[in-house]
Amino acid sequence: MLGYYLQLGFRNLRRSPVLTALIILTLAVGVAASMSTLTVLYMMSGDPIPQKSSRLLTLKLDNYPLDFNDTDEKLPGILTWTDVRNLREDAKGLRRTGLYGISGIVYPNKEGVKNFFADGVAVDADFFAMMDAPFIAGGAWTAAEDRSEARVAVIAAPLAEKLFGKESAIGRNLRMDSEEFRVVGVLHDWKPTPKFYRMDGNSSAGSDADDIFIPLSTALAAHRDVSGNTSCYSNADPGFEGLMRSECIWLRYWVELGSEAERAEYRDYLSAYVQRQKQLGRLPRPDKSALYNVREWLQEIEVVDDDTRLQTWLAFGFLSVCLVNTIGLLLAKFTARTAEIGVRRALGATRSQIFLQYLSEAAALGLVGSIIGVAGAFGMLHLLAKQSPNLEQYARMDPTMLATTVLLSVLAAVIAGLLPTLRATQVVPALQLKSQ
Amino acid sequence: MEIRPILSALRHNLTGALLIATQVALTLAIISNSASVIRERLAVSQRDSGVDAESRILTQRPILFSQIDLANLIQTDLDALRAIPGVESVTVTNQVPMGRSGWSSTFATERVPTAPNQSAGLYFDGGRLLETFGLKLVEGRGFRDDEIVNIDPKVQNPPPTGVLLTRRLAEALFPGQSQFVGRVFYQGNTPDSEELRVIGVIERFTTPWAQTGPGNEYAVVFPARYLNPFNHYVVRAAPGAEAQVRKAMEEALEKNEPGRVSNGQYSIQEMRDRRYRGERALAWLLVSVTVFLLGVTASGIVGMASLWVNLRRKQIGVRRALGATRGDIVRYFLTENLIITSAGIAVGVLAAWGLNGVLMSELSVPRLPLDYLLSGVLLMLLLGVVAVLGPALRAAKLSPALATRSV
Amino acid sequence: MLQMDGVQKIYRTDLVQTYALRSLSLRVAEGEFVAVTGPSGSGKTTFLNIAGLLETFEAGTYRLDGEDVSKLSDHARSRLRNVKIGFIFQSFNLIPDLNVYDNVDVPLRYRGMAGSERKRRITEALERVGLASRHQHLPSQLSGGQQQRVAIARALAGSPRILLADEPTGNLDSLMAREVMNMLEEINAQGTTIVMVTHDPELARRVHRNIHVMDGQVSDLDQRLAA
Repeated sequence: MLGYYLQLGFRNLRRSPVLTALIILTLAVGVAASMSTLTVLYMMSGDPIPQKSSRLLTLKLDNYPLDFNDTDEKLPGILTWTDVRNLREDAKGLRRTGLYGISGIVYPNKEGVKNFFADGVAVDADFFAMMDAPFIAGGAWTAAEDRSEARVAVIAAPLAEKLFGKESAIGRNLRMDSEEFRVVGVLHDWKPTPKFYRMDGNSSAGSDADDIFIPLSTALAAHRDVSGNTSCYSNADPGFEGLMRSECIWLRYWVELGSEAERAEYRDYLSAYVQRQKQLGRLPRPDKSALYNVREWLQEIEVVDDDTRLQTWLAFGFLSVCLVNTIGLLLAKFTARTAEIGVRRALGATRSQIFLQYLSEAAALGLVGSIIGVAGAFGMLHLLAKQSPNLEQYARMDPTMLATTVLLSVLAAVIAGLLPTLRATQVVPALQLKSQ
Repeated sequence: MEIRPILSALRHNLTGALLIATQVALTLAIISNSASVIRERLAVSQRDSGVDAESRILTQRPILFSQIDLANLIQTDLDALRAIPGVESVTVTNQVPMGRSGWSSTFATERVPTAPNQSAGLYFDGGRLLETFGLKLVEGRGFRDDEIVNIDPKVQNPPPTGVLLTRRLAEALFPGQSQFVGRVFYQGNTPDSEELRVIGVIERFTTPWAQTGPGNEYAVVFPARYLNPFNHYVVRAAPGAEAQVRKAMEEALEKNEPGRVSNGQYSIQEMRDRRYRGERALAWLLVSVTVFLLGVTASGIVGMASLWVNLRRKQIGVRRALGATRGDIVRYFLTENLIITSAGIAVGVLAAWGLNGVLMSELSVPRLPLDYLLSGVLLMLLLGVVAVLGPALRAAKLSPALATRSV
Repeated sequence: MLQMDGVQKIYRTDLVQTYALRSLSLRVAEGEFVAVTGPSGSGKTTFLNIAGLLETFEAGTYRLDGEDVSKLSDHARSRLRNVKIGFIFQSFNLIPDLNVYDNVDVPLRYRGMAGSERKRRITEALERVGLASRHQHLPSQLSGGQQQRVAIARALAGSPRILLADEPTGNLDSLMAREVMNMLEEINAQGTTIVMVTHDPELARRVHRNIHVMDGQVSDLDQRLAA
């Protein structure tokens, strides 16, 4: 029976074509607008590493000078080399890595490829296992290579292809600035969205994928400049050595715990660490150290910015207007068919049959609207990605969102169809239209 | 016009009327708030940077890799750029306005940690910065060529003490003052902070970040060339010579050190476009949403009015038979629509305020100006009239003879 | 009062044209009560539409109350309908959304009459048809006979010179029909000209004069020339 109703519904789309077109268009536009912004919001607030986001922690320490006049601003999420070195040496947790952004000129050993500027990160060997970064060839460097400040690198697949074409990159040399690095691993197209391990709320830092990963110890030994924020609240000696000795903050630190339950233990360790540093004359202010897991961190740095939220609000306001409009138009469409309903009732259709029939017609409208709406959502996402490079990583439709979109628009049409359909069932059986 | 009978007729078509009024209310609430956000964003993106001819100021940032004798290499580059025909002025600096990344520092008037301090962009003038960007001095003087020093980050240099600052920063540091030349302030607010002295005040010079807040015009300019490989070369092209200068600039820099990597070449205008892409994108998104909303609402009114005309064909015939002119019929539908729209607008005004209140507290959206709300009200009234005009005219064309037909 | 000479009305579709009225000529004197009779499709309703200025016609002349109305604009015809003509329809044609009082008010509104004057006339007209106490009711809350009496009150409230009735009793049972007919006779007795289209020979016998229409023409020469 439902098949008959749907068939009737689709056939009836052709009746009052202007009204039908308006309903479909209204639904499609509403769905496209709301789903494209919702997709961005969903991708932004998504968990980039759901399998272990509660076990990956980063931290903040307050190393401002005692008399520092800080307003109520948040502590920055970066640390001094002193602290990162100590935390690494204490070796708490399952795995750990310090991290800072680097950049440099890459000299390809290949015809027709010009020198170019590449972004990367200096990390510890554990980084790849911690982040579940997938390798297509080779693997991470070893802890021993970390200690020996080896000139090794892991590179992203696009860079490998650019430099070495189809040939294997493993064992080949990568020249960055004046240094040669031996490639030990190639990462599969790895793009955690958002790029949580480097993001600090300054959204431009998080958009592009990192191409080059080198050992942190190697980068420090080579005095590789910091690509990213460096903040100093007291004077530092000149040069990179000066920076490493200073109270300037510029590195990030991530630790992976064996289980979520170890967090309390780690928290205690961190408090004890701050106390020990205080005895050494560092970290003079009250202990404001804080631990964040991945989800807490994304919240802390406000990945979802006000504009995205504004757009989402707006899109749903827009969708609600479209829904109200659809209700009105469906009411118009169904009311124009009062005579037909009267005749159907007279021929023996029950209320529930009329209800189902007209709701099916609304659903058929929703289905057509959703197909156009999904196409529209893809178009909108494409536009959003083009408008703002920061949004590009988020403006991608995934299967969940696609299913949600289709479901939402059919649901929207059915909800919008409820009132007009209920009104249609109130029509009394009659074999002809009563004159007014 | 007959308001009361229209109202009692409306009572019998309440659902449709309520739907239209709801739609008008929601639309008004959304578009008036959107309009105010659009204005704010576009206004931000058009702020004066202090640079007088943004499309003629070109900047390029070649990464200098043969890090031997950077001072000399920079000087060679500058000489080569200056020699390009059509170039009016050349400078080297560490950052450019609206370039989105650069240096900042805090500045204070006292060397005590409790002293208030201002965060400001920190520019290095490698010579002729004011001239090249076309910045205006409102007090004091710019740097003489012999005041420009080289700062090598690898060794401790005595930093220059005479600096320029922007008027906005000066006013923030020295509240209530109008003369700033000769005044002393500090880079930082700790006992070992460097002492600085104002030698000139720049009318306006925006930071690389061009923040939304007042800090976008806080900048301090030091007379120095910072010897790292990441400097910006800035040239001022003569009017009409931009294209030719662009090409020559690229070539000259390549020639001085072959194989250099350049992070692209941009005019300040292009920097502005990139900096404000987000603002403009949001503004255009809001514009298109507004247009769509108006279209959707108009289509709703047209649909509902057409339905009512169809349902009342007989009635319209009777009215015509009883002496209603075509004008009377059009007026009837216009009045009916005005009543519905006005009801929607009344609710919409409250909703707009409410929505604005929520948006202000949640999303730092500006307060809704009254004139935007009023324009929104007028727009909705106009939209209602225009949308209903078609169905109303069709109603007026119905024949009075419909009255004598039995069905 | 009403004078038509050689009035011709053609309905055209793309393929065919049909003569609704071939060449209709007739006169109705002031104060007359005339019945227009004829079989279905004879052109009775078309005649009424033209007489009531609801439709235009192709040829011939029509004088209403001494004025040539053949070439008037839509606007002028609306004004004339409003002031000089009262209509009574077979299906009453009350406006369902409006109550009795507001229904009677409709033509007076279009005349732009002052509020107190309208109120006086409405009350008077409703009293005349015996429905003053029902003025708050909606049409759907009234019987058919009551609805037709409201329609008569609506037609009378504007003090028309001529009343055009289209099968006024067609939708009523015989008792109510007689009541309505009595009312029309009473109105005519007070000086209002009435032209009534009907196919009911009973009704036709009660009026001053019958005009028989066949194939869009008045079939009886005597009647055509009468009055």
